[in-house]
Amino acid sequence: MSPKNRKRSLLDWAKDRYPIAQFQEWAKHKTVPVGRGAFWYYFGGITLFLFLIQVGTGIMLMFYYKGSADTAFESVQFISAKVPFGWLIRSVHAWSANLMILSAFIHMFSVFFMRAYRKPRELTWISGIVLLAILFGFGFSGYLLPWNELAFFATKVGTDIIGIVPYIGEPIMYVLRGGEDVTGSTLPRFFALHVALFPALLTMFMFVHLFFIQLQGIHEPQAWETQPEQRKTMPFFPHFFMRELLFWLITLNVLAALAVFFPAELGVEANPFSPAPAGIKPEWYFLATFEFLKYMPAHVGPIEGESLGLLVISFGGLLWCLVPWIDRGTNRRITTTVMIVGVVALLFLTIMTYRGYFA
Amino acid sequence: MTKVFALALIASGLVLTSRVSAEELPGGKCLECHSTLEDGVAEVWQDDVHAHAGIGCDGCHGGDPSQDDSDLAKRRGTRYRGKLSAQEIILSCGGCHGDIEYMKSRNPALPIDQLEKYRTSVHGKLLAKGETRVAQCVSCHHAHGVRAVNDAKSPVYAENVPATCGHCHADAEYMADFEIPTNQYEEYTQSVHGKALLEKHDVRGAPACNDCHGNHGAAPPSIDAISNICGTCHAFNAELFLGSPLAPDFKEKSLADCVACHSKHLITHVSDDWLADEPGGACRKCHETGDEGSDLALYYVDTFGSIQRSFDEIGDLLTRAEMKGMDVTEGEDYAEAARQGLMQARTLIHAFSKPVMEEKVTDISQNQAAALEVGYAQLKAFDDRRRGLTISTLLLLLLTLGVAIKIRTLPPLD
Repeated sequence: MSPKNRKRSLLDWAKDRYPIAQFQEWAKHKTVPVGRGAFWYYFGGITLFLFLIQVGTGIMLMFYYKGSADTAFESVQFISAKVPFGWLIRSVHAWSANLMILSAFIHMFSVFFMRAYRKPRELTWISGIVLLAILFGFGFSGYLLPWNELAFFATKVGTDIIGIVPYIGEPIMYVLRGGEDVTGSTLPRFFALHVALFPALLTMFMFVHLFFIQLQGIHEPQAWETQPEQRKTMPFFPHFFMRELLFWLITLNVLAALAVFFPAELGVEANPFSPAPAGIKPEWYFLATFEFLKYMPAHVGPIEGESLGLLVISFGGLLWCLVPWIDRGTNRRITTTVMIVGVVALLFLTIMTYRGYFA
Repeated sequence: MTKVFALALIASGLVLTSRVSAEELPGGKCLECHSTLEDGVAEVWQDDVHAHAGIGCDGCHGGDPSQDDSDLAKRRGTRYRGKLSAQEIILSCGGCHGDIEYMKSRNPALPIDQLEKYRTSVHGKLLAKGETRVAQCVSCHHAHGVRAVNDAKSPVYAENVPATCGHCHADAEYMADFEIPTNQYEEYTQSVHGKALLEKHDVRGAPACNDCHGNHGAAPPSIDAISNICGTCHAFNAELFLGSPLAPDFKEKSLADCVACHSKHLITHVSDDWLADEPGGACRKCHETGDEGSDLALYYVDTFGSIQRSFDEIGDLLTRAEMKGMDVTEGEDYAEAARQGLMQARTLIHAFSKPVMEEKVTDISQNQAAALEVGYAQLKAFDDRRRGLTISTLLLLLLTLGVAIKIRTLPPLD
C-alpha cells in the first residue's frame, strides 16, 4: 500500500467512527477578518504557542528538578551545567514565560483597542483576563522555584504585598508561605501551584476562551455592519493557519536566540538567614504595581498608603473587567472615554514598568 | 480571687523593688566619710565587684566601719592598716584569692594561683627585691573600682590590656631604670594582632599582651617556649616547624623560632616577597644566595608565582565564559579548592621541605587545571551553541521560507 493510500484508508477508518467530515466542513467555512488590525489577531495564537512550549519544556525540567529547599538550587544548577541541553530547555522555559506574558498583554490591548470585547464577547473578554491572571500566578510561582537569593526575597516582598489586602490578604499570605514567613515550606507549595493547580486552571479557561471564539467567530470591524461591501475575510485553513505558523516559527527563532545569548541566570542560593540584598525587584510584569505602591505615601487619611494603592489597583482591575458593560457601543462619548482610559492605562503601565526596571 | 492575686503580685513586686533600691553597698561609715572627700573612692566603689559581693573596706584596710568618728574607726585593736604598700597589696589580695576554701564559697570559677604566679613574674621578683615601681594587683585591676575581667570597662578586659600594660611599658621615662624597650605598645598596635583586637574588636580571637606573656606570671617568654606560645593559636604552623629540619638548628643557635622571621610585637601580614632572595628577605637573615635554604626559598617563590599566574588566567577565562552567559560554577569551585590549597601551601612553608610542598603543589595544579578545563569547555560550549543556533536558524528560515512560499501559492483572497 502506497503512503497516500495508507493515509486515505486511515482517514476512512476514522471517518467511519468519528464525525471527521463535519469537522472538515466546519474548518472549510471558518474565516478570519482581513483588515488594518489583522496583524494583531496573531498574538492570541502566539500566546498559545508559547504556552505549548512552556508545557513541553516544563515537563522536561520536571525530569530533573527537585522541589524542596534542600535540593532545588542544586537540581537547577545540575540542569544548567550537566544535563545535555538542560541550559537550553531552562532558558527557553524562562524566556518563553516572559514572551508569553508579553504576548498575552499585546493580545489583550489589541482586543481592547479593536473594541472586540463588546457584546456578544463579554465572557471571552472575562475569560481572557482570568487567563492573564493565571499567567501571573505561573510567573510568580515559577520565579521562586530555582530557590536563589533574588527569587527568595522577591517572593517575600510579593507575598508581603498580598498580605496588605484587608481581611483576606493575611490568611492567603499565610497559606501561600506555609507559615508566617517565606521558608523552605513555601517552595513545595509554589511548586504544586506551578505544576498542578495553574496548569489545570489555565487549560480549563483556555478551552473556555477558545470555545467562545469558535462559537462566536472572530470579531469583525464595526464598520462592516453598515458597509458590508467592505467585508473581507480569509479562510482560517490554510490561509490564516499558515501565516500563524510563520509567526510561530519566527517566535521560535527569537526564543532560541534569546536562550543562547541571554541564558537564564541562577545567582546565589537562597539563605533565609542572610539579609536581603540591595535592589530586590519582582519580574517585569509586576514592576508597575510594585513601583506604584512605592510612590504611595505612608498614610492617606486613616488608610495605609499601600492598602489604598492596592485598592486603587483592584478597582482599576475591576473596571477593566467591566469594560464590555461600560462601553456597549451605543454612546460615542463613553467609547471615546474608555479608549482614552485604555491609552492612559497602557502609558501608566509602560512608564511605571520602565521606572521600576531602571530604578 | 483574681483581683486579690493581682494585688498580691503587685505588692510583692513593690517589696522586691524596694529591697533592691534599698540595697546598700558595704563600707559603712568609711564610705560615708569618703563620699565627702574628693578622693573618688566612694564613686568608683559603686562599680566594684567586691563591694557588690558584700566585702567592705575593712576587708583590705581593717578598721571599724561602724564608727562615726574617724579616730575611733581607726583605733588600735581594729587592725586598721590605712593605705596598703605594694607588698601588702599582693598579700591582701592573695589572702583571699589564694585561699581555696574561701574562693570556693565565693566564686569557685576563679583561679586561685594568681599570687603564686605573680611571684614567678618579673614584676613579682622585682617587688620581692624591694622595687615598688613594678606592677602589682591594683596597677592593673585598680584598687576600689575593680571590675570583672569580662566587663568591657575593666582595664584587664582583652581590648584594654594593651593600653593597661602600655601605661607603664610605653612610658620611656618611667621605664628608664629598667633598661627594656618601650616601643612594644606602638609596635603591637601596628601588628596584625593589634589591628584585629583594637580595630576589629576581635576580643576572642586576637591575642593581647597577656596571651603570650601570661597574666599574673608575666615575663618575657624563653626562646624554647616561643613555638608553644605561638602554637597555642597557630598550632599547625608550630607543629610543622618543630618537625622541620630547621628546628634543631634554631635550637642549637638559640634562635627564637617564630620570632626569628615574624618578629615579636610588630607581626605583620606575610607576603611571598618575604621569600625573595634579596637583602631584607626573611630567609636572607641567615641564608646566602646559592645555599640549600636559599634554593628552597627560590623554589617557593617560583612555585607561588606560577600558581598566581595560573589564577590570573583562570579568573580571566571564567570571567569571559561567564560574560557570555555560561555557567562556570564548577570552575569556580575548582579555583576555590586551589585557593584553599595555596593557603595550605603557604602554611606548609613552615615544614621547610620541598617534597612536602611538591605534594601540595600537585594538588593545587590539578584543581587549577580542572578550573581551566571548565573555562575552556564553557567557551567551546558557547561556540557550539552559537553554531547550533546558526544551523537551527537556517533550518527555521528554510521552514519559514517554505511556509511563506506556500502562503503565496494559496488561492487569492476574495
